[in-house]
Parts: sequence; C-alpha cells; structure tokens
Amino acid sequence: MLAPYSPKQNHLLAALPAADYRRLQPHLERVAVELGCALYESGSQQDNVYFPTTSIVSLLYVMQNGSSAEIAVVGNEGVVGIALFMGGGTTSSRAVVQSAGYACQLEACVLKTEFERGGPLQHLLLRYTQSLIAQTSQTAACNRHHSVEKQLCRWLLLSLDRLPSNELTMTQELIANMLGVRREGVTEAAGNLQAAGLIRYSRGRISVLDRPRLEERVCECYAVVKRESDRLLCVNSAGAELRS
Amino acid sequence: MSDTSRGALLMLPRRSPTPQLNREPAGRVTRRAAIENRLLASVPRKEYRRLLDVLEPVTFAFGEVLYEPGDAIRHVYFPGVCLVSLLTLVDDHLALEVGMVGREGMVGIPLALGIGVSPIRALVQGAGVAMRMKSAPFLRELRQNLHLQRALYLYTHTLMAQVAQTAACNRFHMVQERLARWLLMTRDRVRSNEFQLTQEFLSHMLGVRRVGVTKAAGQLQKRNLIEYSRGNISIVDEQGLEAASCSCYQATNNAQA
Repeated sequence: MLAPYSPKQNHLLAALPAADYRRLQPHLERVAVELGCALYESGSQQDNVYFPTTSIVSLLYVMQNGSSAEIAVVGNEGVVGIALFMGGGTTSSRAVVQSAGYACQLEACVLKTEFERGGPLQHLLLRYTQSLIAQTSQTAACNRHHSVEKQLCRWLLLSLDRLPSNELTMTQELIANMLGVRREGVTEAAGNLQAAGLIRYSRGRISVLDRPRLEERVCECYAVVKRESDRLLCVNSAGAELRS
Repeated sequence: MSDTSRGALLMLPRRSPTPQLNREPAGRVTRRAAIENRLLASVPRKEYRRLLDVLEPVTFAFGEVLYEPGDAIRHVYFPGVCLVSLLTLVDDHLALEVGMVGREGMVGIPLALGIGVSPIRALVQGAGVAMRMKSAPFLRELRQNLHLQRALYLYTHTLMAQVAQTAACNRFHMVQERLARWLLMTRDRVRSNEFQLTQEFLSHMLGVRRVGVTKAAGQLQKRNLIEYSRGNISIVDEQGLEAASCSCYQATNNAQA
C-alpha cells in the first residue's frame, strides 16, 4: 500500500521558500515507481530529475562486466539526477527503485533554469550533492573494511530512515546486488540478524523488530552518512559561514 | 628543477607531519602554479586577475594534512604540481583513498557546495606547489564568477564519478589491478614515471594490509611493468601497466575527458 502523496514529503521541496516552491509546483508531476524499475541507465541522457517522496532509489555503479554495487541510496531527503544540474549530462551510475512508492518528476530544462537563478533551490541542491559525495565515500570505505552483516545493518537503517514504516519489501538477490556481494553472504547475515531477534524475514518482506539493537550492531558508517545528510537541511555553523 | 616542484617526494615522514606553509614570493611561481591548475586556467583573463589578488602560493611537503574529518574548511587549494589524496577513515584508523586531486581540480569542494566542514582527510601525497584561497574571498568569488562556478560544478561531477568508481572498484577488483590503476593515476597527476612511496602508505591508500601490497607490487615487478626497490617505484612499461589495471582507470579518464 502506498502512502498518500504530497510533493512536500520530499525534504528538499519542503525546505523551499513559498515563492520558489510555487514556481516549481506546476511542473512537478507525480509518478509511481515500481520495485526494480530503472530511472536512469548509466551513460544515458537524463530528461528528468526525481524527488522521491515515499519511494527509495538506489544508485548503482555498473562495471564493464555488468556487476554492480550500490554507491548511495536516495529517499525523501534527496533528488535523483544531480548530473543534470552539475553540468555532467550523463552519469556513471544506474538509478534503480529499491522500494516502490511515489516520486515527483521534474523536467530537466525547468530544473536547470531554476538552478541557474542561484536561489534557495540551487543552495539546497548543492548541499545535497555534497552529502551524496560523503555517502558514496563512506560506502566505499565500508565496502572495503566492514563485514557483510554490518553492511546489511547499515543498508537496512538507511532504508528505514527513508520509509514511513519499519517494513521493507525486498528479495535477498536484490540486496546482494545492492551490496555487491554473493547471495549466500546476504542469506547468512540476514539469518544471523533474524536469529538474534533484530529482524524478521519472510517471503521477500523484511521487518525490523528491534531498531535500537540494530543500531548497536551497525558500523559507524551509518551514523556518518546520517550526520552528513542531517547537516544538509539544518542551519549550522557551516550555513552561517556560507553567508558571511 | 627541484624535487619538490616535480612532485616526486612520496615518502612517509618519520614523525607526524606538522603543516609548514612555505610562502613563496609572488611573481613567477605564482603564475606558474596558477597556470598549472586547469580550473584556474579556465577562468577568463580579466576575472583571473581579480582571483590573483586573493590567491596565495603554498608549498606542501609529503604527508601534510590539509583537513581532518570534521575540520572547518578555512582555505581551498588549487594544486599545481602537487597531489592530494582524499581519504575516508573508518574505525579511527582504517583509511581508504576515495579520490585523488591534482592540477585538474580543487581541494575543498564541500565549501563550493555550501558545506563548511570537511568529511574526509585531505593528505598531500605528492609534494609541490598549490594556490590557496581563504574561504570568505572564495565564496565571494564563487558568487560573482560564473566561469569559476561552472568549472567547479563540472569538476565536482567528475570527482563524484571518481568516488563512485572507487567504491565499486574496491568491491570487485584485485589488489594488483587496483595498485596498477593507482600508480597510473598518480603518474598522470605528477607527470613523472618515477616516484617514491612506502608500502605502508600504499596500504592506507588501497585499504589493504601491507602484505597484500607487497605481494601485488612483487607481481607487477615480475611482469616487468614496474621496478620497485627501497621505496622507489618506476613505471617501466606504461602500456603493460595500463593493460594490468582494472577497467576503472580508463573509465575514470573518460569521465574526466
């Protein structure tokens, strides 16, 4: 079941001043996105950007031999398609829906015009870009140094933060693709978490039963990514510095 | 030309590095380092002259830390012949290089994106000259100078691609391929086939244990692609090394082209 839709469920859109939001509003189109559907392929031209409201999108880096690994996850805190306004045109990653729901679609040309005004939307999008780079860097280090179980905990918590409920529809195969590990590794890690009473996994549905203990097991990477994404929308010393 | 200006000193310092900013006299060095940096070189002359007023040349030694995670970004740096590694730290001591910035880029991108705090460690990996700018004049220039803005955003996009590539590369590729890629990326930025570095340093960059580095370097040497002795590395067969590196080397180059 999909939650009711409003563009302002997306934190970036919600953070826009009323005048800026009104300019965008007529161009925001609600789209329902399904699990596994690709919003972009790597190397392709992008015609739209997407502001997820109730959906979650996974950015995957695709290697030449076709294997892929998740480099970041985007939910209602962000936007899919930063290459468009950064001037890159195409992107090296593939954007795949990891949790079905709604997103706001916005045409590339409208976004570019608005970005070039240099106002609050530009400000928000640039800050979001930085938090995405931070997330990708952390993911790289986490992939290198942490166990599959810890990575799975990170992935579950980052997903939950972007969802209205504590349930996730997901196959082990998809998780394995996201984390870039073999399916057996995911099965084992998920089995351990289930045996410890932290999650329940059945028929492609994962429910988190004990979030505090999941947070105890996760590697520090979760907190780092969360902090960077919280920094994005709060006015802190960095924001003050920017205006000085 | 001195060693420093070739950016050739990649040795680890014996004691913990203390940043030393050797200010060069303005003039020849200023111009040379500025032109070396491609972002600065892309700014039209009139606007560039204004930038010169707020740019200041600095010489970095190997191992200097420009930012630690959580540090306020007080300066941004435009490398000339020096080379800076961006490292993500986990569990306080495990590091991994997620990006490499040379004359094609700028160190301090978070500030250009509106975040005044560095999430990563920026470590000088190849000594040499860079131009630096204080954060306040940088932000002022960024607002006024559309050329600089566009160039920086585009560079950010390629940096993002590099970080993403690194994340996937770390996941799938063997140490030997990754070492080959790292050596080639370093060569491209310092523009020399010879540099000095320790295995310990390489193990931080690649996020593997020292024995892994020793083994991989030994294999590349056996294939006559590099020569490695007492911390001196020279690339003897560039094409061979390119063939030995993973696809990521070419992919990153294409993204930057």
